Amino acid sequence: MALPPPDPQFVLRGTSAEVHTLHFYCRGQEPDYPILFSGSSNGLIHVWNLKTRRVDTILDGHGGKSVYWVEAINGRDRLLSQGRNQQICLWDLAEGRNTVTDSVFTENVGFCKSSLLKVAQGHWLMAMPGKDLDEVQVLELPSKTSVCTLKPEADAKPGMPMCLKLWQPDFGSCPFLLAGYEDGSVILWNLSGGKILSRLACHQEPVMSLDFDSEKTKGVSGSSEEVLTVWSLDEQQNLKVQKTHKLVNAGIADVAIRQDKKILATAGWDHRIRIFGWKKLKPLAILDYHTATVHCVSFSDHSRPSERLLAAGSKDHRISIWSIYNQASGALHCPLETRKPD
Amino acid sequence: MAPDQFVYISDSALQELQEYILFPLRFTLKTPGPKRERLVQSVVQCITSILSTTCVKKQDLLQELFSELCLCLSSPSGLQSPAPLSEELKLTVIQALQVLMHSAYGDIILTLYQPSTLPHLGFAVSLLLALAEQEKAKQIKLSALKCLQVLILQCDCQEHHRLLDMAETRHYGNLFASFLPGISTALSRVITGDIKQGHMVTVSAIRLFYQTVCLAMADEQLATITQDEEKPSVEQSRVSELVVHRGSDWVKSTADKLSLLIHKIVEFASLHPHWKVRMELVELVHHLMLKCSQSLVESVGHLLKALVGLVNDESNEVQIKCHEILRSIAELRTVAENRALADILSENLHSLATALPRLMNSQDDQGKFSTLSLLLGSLKLLGPKVNIVLNSAAHLQRLSKALMQVLELDVADVKIVKERHWGPENSLGEPLGSLQHGKSQKKYFRFFSDERIFLLIQQVCRVLGYYGNLYLLVDHFMGLYNESVVYRKQAAMVLNELITGAAGLEVDVLHERETAVSTEDLKGTITSILEEYTDQANWYLTTSTETEGTSDELTVKHSRVRAIPRGAHSSYLISSSSPSSDPSPTIRSMNSNIWQICIQLEGVGCFAYVLGKEFRLLLASVLYPVLEKAGDSSLLISQTATGTMVDVCHACGYDSVQNLINANSDYLVNGISLNLRRVAHQPHASRVLEAMLRHSDASLLPLVEDVIQDALSALDQFYDDRASSFLGVLSTLVAALAQWFIVGKGKEHPQEQNLEQQSSTSSQKQGEGSVITPMVQEVEQFFLDYIKQSQIAEGNLPAMEEEEEEVQAPPPEPEMNDSSAEGETPLPAHAQIAKDVMRCIHLLSDKSAAICFPMAHRTWPALVTRLINDDPLAVLRAFKVLCTLAEKCGDFLKRRFSKDVLPKLAGSLVAQAPVSARAGPMYSHTLAFKLQLAVLQGLGLLCEKLDLGESDLNKVADACLIYLTFPSNLMCVDPDATWLFLNEICCPLPPVKLEGSTSPVEIVYESTNVKRLKTTDLI
Repeated sequence: MALPPPDPQFVLRGTSAEVHTLHFYCRGQEPDYPILFSGSSNGLIHVWNLKTRRVDTILDGHGGKSVYWVEAINGRDRLLSQGRNQQICLWDLAEGRNTVTDSVFTENVGFCKSSLLKVAQGHWLMAMPGKDLDEVQVLELPSKTSVCTLKPEADAKPGMPMCLKLWQPDFGSCPFLLAGYEDGSVILWNLSGGKILSRLACHQEPVMSLDFDSEKTKGVSGSSEEVLTVWSLDEQQNLKVQKTHKLVNAGIADVAIRQDKKILATAGWDHRIRIFGWKKLKPLAILDYHTATVHCVSFSDHSRPSERLLAAGSKDHRISIWSIYNQASGALHCPLETRKPD
Repeated sequence: MAPDQFVYISDSALQELQEYILFPLRFTLKTPGPKRERLVQSVVQCITSILSTTCVKKQDLLQELFSELCLCLSSPSGLQSPAPLSEELKLTVIQALQVLMHSAYGDIILTLYQPSTLPHLGFAVSLLLALAEQEKAKQIKLSALKCLQVLILQCDCQEHHRLLDMAETRHYGNLFASFLPGISTALSRVITGDIKQGHMVTVSAIRLFYQTVCLAMADEQLATITQDEEKPSVEQSRVSELVVHRGSDWVKSTADKLSLLIHKIVEFASLHPHWKVRMELVELVHHLMLKCSQSLVESVGHLLKALVGLVNDESNEVQIKCHEILRSIAELRTVAENRALADILSENLHSLATALPRLMNSQDDQGKFSTLSLLLGSLKLLGPKVNIVLNSAAHLQRLSKALMQVLELDVADVKIVKERHWGPENSLGEPLGSLQHGKSQKKYFRFFSDERIFLLIQQVCRVLGYYGNLYLLVDHFMGLYNESVVYRKQAAMVLNELITGAAGLEVDVLHERETAVSTEDLKGTITSILEEYTDQANWYLTTSTETEGTSDELTVKHSRVRAIPRGAHSSYLISSSSPSSDPSPTIRSMNSNIWQICIQLEGVGCFAYVLGKEFRLLLASVLYPVLEKAGDSSLLISQTATGTMVDVCHACGYDSVQNLINANSDYLVNGISLNLRRVAHQPHASRVLEAMLRHSDASLLPLVEDVIQDALSALDQFYDDRASSFLGVLSTLVAALAQWFIVGKGKEHPQEQNLEQQSSTSSQKQGEGSVITPMVQEVEQFFLDYIKQSQIAEGNLPAMEEEEEEVQAPPPEPEMNDSSAEGETPLPAHAQIAKDVMRCIHLLSDKSAAICFPMAHRTWPALVTRLINDDPLAVLRAFKVLCTLAEKCGDFLKRRFSKDVLPKLAGSLVAQAPVSARAGPMYSHTLAFKLQLAVLQGLGLLCEKLDLGESDLNKVADACLIYLTFPSNLMCVDPDATWLFLNEICCPLPPVKLEGSTSPVEIVYESTNVKRLKTTDLI
């Protein structure tokens, strides 16, 4: 018997705007409480205390323009946020401060979220959409020096980058960038040469989101169509489609693979969150709570696996927090897919 | 010679002459042969009188007088038994003996206590004991006992007595050891004798008993006696046989014998009805524990048992004394550090726990009380050592099972199930002052009815929590909670008390524990207990036969919980067999469920009390379930939940329940929204939403927006069953919005006033507010009434309903169309109205009255169909809505009104007038009458608000005039009211008419009418 899907563990309300991005910081030990950062369309970043389930701080630094990427850098006291005002801000949140200490002007007007990768202690690489429409720029942080600019050749025409993912096979080795483009293709860039290593046309529509599992060297991408694609990277650095999953309702706004590489969550335009087993892309659950498009999904980084949470932010202004499949014994069930009535 | 004649001789002279005066008296006593009792009595009285003012300075005299007086009591035949003398004489002699002992000068008294005088002493002791035991007269008994007390040098009178030093004490100890067997047995017989002898006798006997024992068996003395010590050298061999050597063998055998006596005394005295006897028993325990705890080690068990049994004595004095003594014993650490004693106690505890279930079955309340007192006392005395007992699985098992049995509730009462709580109003709005902390519901237990017994058990649990290993205990009782529904309520009760005790609150202990449980640990434990309590399977139980949620739904949910395990509870399999999934609940099981919920609610209150402000963190998960129960239909549950809210409120430092709800509405919203998703829980959720709306302010609005949408969609889905509960919510919402809106408008939008009036003053702002409030109330009332009405008159209305739906149902509501096609119940239409009106008011709160117009426009056709309908009730309601709309929209409705409604209204008024004129008094109870009344009442206002034209006014006036020209029944029934209506009709009109230059005749005509009415009818 297919069991009814669970309810959220709790729901965070009060952003008063669409929630575009979420980022957990839960690694801290007591007395630090777990935190969730959320960025919303009214330009505010909310810092949620997950213990009290209330907003701790509200950061306002994007001039009322939508915030669509937030990520903690170097602990919980430093935060990067990217907004539609073309600024990427670095926040200092230590000791109750909430000031922008540094910022980068992106010169790009798209929606492409940046990607951050820690390459050494105190050094990060940040990939962000560049000045030209099809360009991706990689900066070294905190110095903000440009490492390289990744621009497809003139005849490639993949369109704008839609989503980025920096990764490196091993800590200290040469980093790569995976980028999803407007034309539906995913391109693997080698940062050291600034060259395209592989290009895979896996969608008909723009790639909305992708995530990559560097252990199994395979990734997943979602687009505005009703297909979820899993592709893998072979030893020759070639991307190829491994599996596709057909959805009933079109549009995947976000995908996220849990840190333990066991499950995958997707944010659907059909208001639903879907959970898949990452190994075989087996559908596990459909979490139906939101009443509007789900914009983003994110898994928490709790050090204890049993505490791990899934958060989803939606156009309906709510952030739902789920506690699912975080027990070794958790039985996996697959509810039937149904089409949304409208 | 009379004794009172000595008064005239000075004390010093008498002292000088003492021996001379005494001589003839003694001689009289000594002369052989029978004497008259009267004579003996007089002589003894004389001697007493002399001795009381003089002192005996000579050893011989003392000894001789002593023997002579003793002889007076003895019968010539046998030495042991007292002579059959008159009671007066006996009393006199005993008193003389006492006085003699007191008159001995300095160390002279000590000469009585020589091995050589042992026979004399022994003689006196046995005589006095015999008197104390055999006499009927209380006075003699008491005197004899008193005299004995003096004899063993333990007199507690005011006079100065010589204090004995160490060596002397030991000397007398040796001496009295010889009498110990005799005295102790005789006294134990006196103590356990007939209760009718009076408590004074028993009290003195007990006192004498322990004094004697303390003298002969004092550890301090015995410690200095060695085995090889020489027997005291005595001249006569016969006398030397009488002297006892208090070696270890003697101590052992004496202690054995005493142990039996003590046991007997303790058993008897601890149940003695007089508190002074029990008090003296406490003293006995105290003295023996203090002085003889080593020599009498075998009796310590009995003694402690007596003591702990009396800790909860009904007499306050005894209780206080007991506590004092227990504390002093505990401080001495004789128990906690004495392994043997701890063993004795834990052994006692174990056997008590084993016997407890049986005793609880067989004993009466008094017996149960003392058994449980004993249990409590043992626990208290064991203190931290209680863990020795708890660590043994068998012991803990016995103890807990006993508690489970004792605490079994009586669940046969039908009333508990029957008492329902109806309506949305609950006492949450009440000020805190009227509700107090810690008032739990009175419970009815199967095995006892005495409230004190419950208090005892409460203390038992708290003391366990205070000293015991909390994790062990909570784990164990949580296990029982999950093990079977039979134990669940009791286990929850125990858990609540354990936590209270662990926090050291309201627990009465003898010594401090070494380490207190940390707040963090408490919080962790409480969190896990609360998780269990509020678990679906334990929180949503069937408490009534009216299904609030069908058991199917609940069963499904149980399995769902199992599918996504959060805390890996192996108990779900068991708990799913709980009565919640029982398809046909019995009264018993429902009663039991009600109690379980109540106990769990009380637990929440306890835990809040324990954690104080720290509990705020747990509110996220607890507040919703509690508030949900506050609106439960079972009276008991809702009362308990309300009490819990108050407790939580106090604990978390909110000054009112309202504040508590307001400050934590985000948590509540979360619970509401999640529960709205479940069909079975919707009624609860809507109730909580209602309560929350009632207690919150405008800051809540952004939080509830989506929940309102959820509620509306739930309403759409389940209009059949849930409409009334949701409409209640909506009306509350509307009221709340209006309330918040008034504030917001006054503060934020001064320009708004321009829309209404040019010359707006603050008083008019007030006026504005008050216009809106009644309107909202009316709208609210309208919907509530309307639901009722349509349920009554369902058959008559469907046609019209459908019409309304067609007008009103917006396109994206497919279900609406379905239902109209099927011609189902009329409720969706009302839902739609509710929605529309709600939106309308939403818009109003957006500060623009103009937006109201389209809404009015939309509702108009529906309203008109209503107004010209034949059903008077429908017309009545519709008319009220019309009035509110008119107030809001003013002349926006003027044309429509005069075209669509007025002719019909006026027509019906005219048509109805002759009917009402003819009708009898019963008419006032008909709908037609009410409609007439309402229309007459409202028309005036309508005319004014809608700013009607001249011709329309004439119509109104014509219609009304009929009512004015002849005194109708309306007035007969309620002249005052009618007069007011008339006034209302008349007075608003004249100014309008004057402006409109209508003929003044009419005004005069009307006012004369009114005048006439006043004069004819009212006076």
